Amino acid sequence: MSPRTVFRTLGIAFVLAAAAACATPPADPGARAEFDAVNDPFEPLNRAVFRFNVAVDDALIRPAAVVYRAVVPDPGQIMVHNFLTNLEAPVVFANDVLQGESERAAITLSRFLMNSTIGFGGFLDPATYAGLERHNEDFGQTVAVWGAGDGAYLMLPLFGPSSPRDTAGLIVDHFLDPFAYIVDDGDHDEWFSVGRLALSAVDLRARHLEELDEIERTSIDFYATVRTLYRQRRAAEIRNGALPPDSAIPAITFEDEAGADGALVRAAE
Amino acid sequence: MSPGRLIRSVVVAVALLVASGAQAAPAADASAFVVELGEEAVRMLGDKSLTEEQRIANFRRLLNKGFDLRTIGRFVLGRHARQAAPEQLAEYERLFAEFIVKTYATRLGQYEGEQLRVLGAAEDGDSDVMVRSEILVPDGPPVLVDWRVREHEGAQHIVDVAIEGVSMAITQRDEFAAVIQQRGSLAGLNDALRAKIGE
Repeated sequence: MSPRTVFRTLGIAFVLAAAAACATPPADPGARAEFDAVNDPFEPLNRAVFRFNVAVDDALIRPAAVVYRAVVPDPGQIMVHNFLTNLEAPVVFANDVLQGESERAAITLSRFLMNSTIGFGGFLDPATYAGLERHNEDFGQTVAVWGAGDGAYLMLPLFGPSSPRDTAGLIVDHFLDPFAYIVDDGDHDEWFSVGRLALSAVDLRARHLEELDEIERTSIDFYATVRTLYRQRRAAEIRNGALPPDSAIPAITFEDEAGADGALVRAAE
Repeated sequence: MSPGRLIRSVVVAVALLVASGAQAAPAADASAFVVELGEEAVRMLGDKSLTEEQRIANFRRLLNKGFDLRTIGRFVLGRHARQAAPEQLAEYERLFAEFIVKTYATRLGQYEGEQLRVLGAAEDGDSDVMVRSEILVPDGPPVLVDWRVREHEGAQHIVDVAIEGVSMAITQRDEFAAVIQQRGSLAGLNDALRAKIGE
């Protein structure tokens, strides 16, 4: 079975299961408001997929990342990361343009030209030293800038946290990616894409080994933590790092703010 | 210029000065507050002569001084705080403070020379100032950190920290809401917190 068929089968199975596994909204108005805000109607299925992803991570991706970090010297890891990042530049550029961000588009283009040439095909990152800092864009962010909301939370098998908007974005980005066409020489293009995807997964996991382990260790509900982290991070990426508008960030207040005695709670010393 | 107009312009100028001074002061105060806390944290974390216990004790002190844990804890609990029994709420507040200490305590020894640099500040609402800063990491891009500083009864405290746009208060609120939903009550969350901090 080719990797593409595998993904297609997973996709169809996922959609069918999603339709069958909706959570029931609660009756209590407060709980109902929370249910709507969380916007995770497929939670039972999402949690099952999350367990699957964590199992795959425990069995394959995390061990691969640990070995990768132990075996490949730091400069090698940096070069691999630079190379993978440079491959993403055309898609980032296309989305910069689609968002009307001409300055950011120029930065992405200059980075790509510079790193692909004097950066030896992207293994080095002279552009960053020249003051052209990297940023990320994808089609999910682009349609968000155009005004589309993210919709329900989706936990994709292997690809992780997403939404209908960002899932559609993943697919569009795949078609926007010239490397998906250029390397096409018969049957080998899929293996280039799959190899790149696998290496990207290991690179990403290796670079966040401690953080992710830490989040898993300190959270009580790992699934819920990942859900809110993903949503907030996406919102921040879409704002391109600007502070959220006043209305978007809930003020941290409650009715009896000072409390009866006005005292602060203190951690025992 | 007639004396009347001169006096009027002086009055206007003074009024503008006072007004702009009054506007800028909270932002400047909050920035200074964050800078001072940051310097203290760097001093504490960089002191390799401290034992693990001393470091945790210092962290508790810094946390109590710099953060309004009661406000944060209550915000995190959201609507569940209003329905809770007082003794359960008090127990939650104690557990929450301990949970924060335990969450960060293990990372205190991992300091590698990071520095905090305040970039600017802006008022947000009536009582808050958002202080924008970056943490300069030795080998990597700087990390953007926003501090929500609130003045209450003459004292400043941090009520939220957002790292690269991810609010710690909102993250904790969303997680705790899920825990309460799954376990059915605040008592369930308290049990989970107790298990997490090893009580």
